[in-house]
Amino acid sequence: MSKTVNGVVIDDTFAEAFGMSGTGIIITADTLKWARIAATVATGFGTSVIGCGAECGIDKELTPDETPDGRPGVRILIFGFSPDALVPQIRNRIGQCVLTSPGSACYAGFKSDKSIALGKGPRLFGDGFQTAKKLGGTRYWRVPVMDGEFVIEEETGLTTDAVGGGNMLILGTDRAGLLETAEAAVDAIAKVDDVITPFPGGIVRSGSKVGAKYAGMFASTNDAFCPTLRGTTKKTELAPDTLAVLEIVIDGLTSKAVADAMRVGLKAVTDVGAKRGVTRITAGNYGGKLGQHHYHLKDLI
Amino acid sequence: MSGLTLRLKAPATERLTLSGITPAKLSALSEHDIAHLDVGIEKGGMALGDAFDISGSAGDVLTIEGATPELDFIGLGLDSGTIRVIGDAGSYAGRKMTGGKLEIHGNAAHFLASGSTGGMIHVRGNAGDNLGGMIPGDRFGMLGGITVVEGNIGSRAGDKMRRGVIVVRGKTGAHTGSRMIGGTIWAEGGIGPEPGLMMRRGTLIGPSVEKLLPTFVDTGKHDLVIVRVISRYLKTVLGDLAPKPMPLFVQKIGGDLATIGRGEILLPAA
Repeated sequence: MSKTVNGVVIDDTFAEAFGMSGTGIIITADTLKWARIAATVATGFGTSVIGCGAECGIDKELTPDETPDGRPGVRILIFGFSPDALVPQIRNRIGQCVLTSPGSACYAGFKSDKSIALGKGPRLFGDGFQTAKKLGGTRYWRVPVMDGEFVIEEETGLTTDAVGGGNMLILGTDRAGLLETAEAAVDAIAKVDDVITPFPGGIVRSGSKVGAKYAGMFASTNDAFCPTLRGTTKKTELAPDTLAVLEIVIDGLTSKAVADAMRVGLKAVTDVGAKRGVTRITAGNYGGKLGQHHYHLKDLI
Repeated sequence: MSGLTLRLKAPATERLTLSGITPAKLSALSEHDIAHLDVGIEKGGMALGDAFDISGSAGDVLTIEGATPELDFIGLGLDSGTIRVIGDAGSYAGRKMTGGKLEIHGNAAHFLASGSTGGMIHVRGNAGDNLGGMIPGDRFGMLGGITVVEGNIGSRAGDKMRRGVIVVRGKTGAHTGSRMIGGTIWAEGGIGPEPGLMMRRGTLIGPSVEKLLPTFVDTGKHDLVIVRVISRYLKTVLGDLAPKPMPLFVQKIGGDLATIGRGEILLPAA
């Protein structure tokens, strides 16, 4: 039974999410600008594990008081299907994007009993000139580089209880208004700790279904939600006046964080959506076959 | 503060060895057994109860009152709890410590913290030679933990030290960090002559150095992120005991080039 909030219909359905492995990494630099640049590049091409190897994003910005070296920083999150899948992603992304970025340093951004390599690979760039400094239980590597030293912590925390694929689909009659509403939802979600919205600007226009008619394609366009196919595809989910659909995908270090993020996202949409042409909110589920985490929209409103 | 208190009855006539006298070990013993622990080194032995008045009940804190430099090996193997020494400690205090806290409200003699892997040592007075060093039979000196000495320390501190941090409010003696393999020694009062003899890695930090060995080389002025990390770490674990942060730019002296030369002496940049 659907529900209407501030003129927006909320479907009685759930977002189906799946278990992932995740980690947090703090990137600092001389200025917040350069910490952001390193973090943005390191999390680039990190939208969907279907094709990217890892889902990545910036979780939050950190003040100098919150970082291990007293410089401005950014915390990024990286998610993958397994710890083994994360190892090369972390090594390559940090090695190619943070090690190379002027003035950067890199630290564990997540505390946990489990850990995963962070500096173990990039330290080898030091070609034998690298040195380690162990303070308490933490080992830092110092890799000589052309602007001084790249400092990187040996390991960062790992969770295998992370959740990927929390989502909501926002339907509307005005494409520009829909995008503005989705942006407001992403901004609200950005204030929640331990979550990222990995797609460009946090918003997905290419919702996918599992499988495809072409060999080698694991996912393809979600034709049931494509407005231009309304009436021509076998199963359409769209009302006659729906002009566009946008999706927000959420990954979190914990299930609670994902639920919190969906809650504030839904509120942002229902607060302003109707005036901007939003008519309905639904969520992507696969009949319970995709993942063990189900976020029922009615419980989050 | 509750716990067991040992009060030296009279000036010791022989050196006493307090190895293994830790809060955790005493907690597992009866009063009778505690009083009969052997702390002497001469033939015939000396029982703990003969040398000390014992009061209180065993707990997380062990207090040694009236301590003198004849008491060696205080806190050897300490892994948890606190040992408070009111007076001076002899040699080898805090040797092979793995955890807990050793407070010495006086001076410490030689080989303080030798071979320790963890825990915290705080000396209100001075410390002797070979702080965090090694004794024959050891492969390494200090391997972890933090030692803070509010006064001055003797020569060859950190000999073959591999990990851990030594903070000295006063000055160090000669040859600080000799044969050092890793770790950090921060001397707020200055580093004595010829530090880092044959050091491979490791960090010596101070406002000045008395005389450099010819096998050390000036690598210039740097803004080293690791110095900020060390400062912040020490502030977190030591609070008010932490050394004042170094200036943004430090002069890095690299060496000892007679070995692999990965060690460093960091001084405020002029």
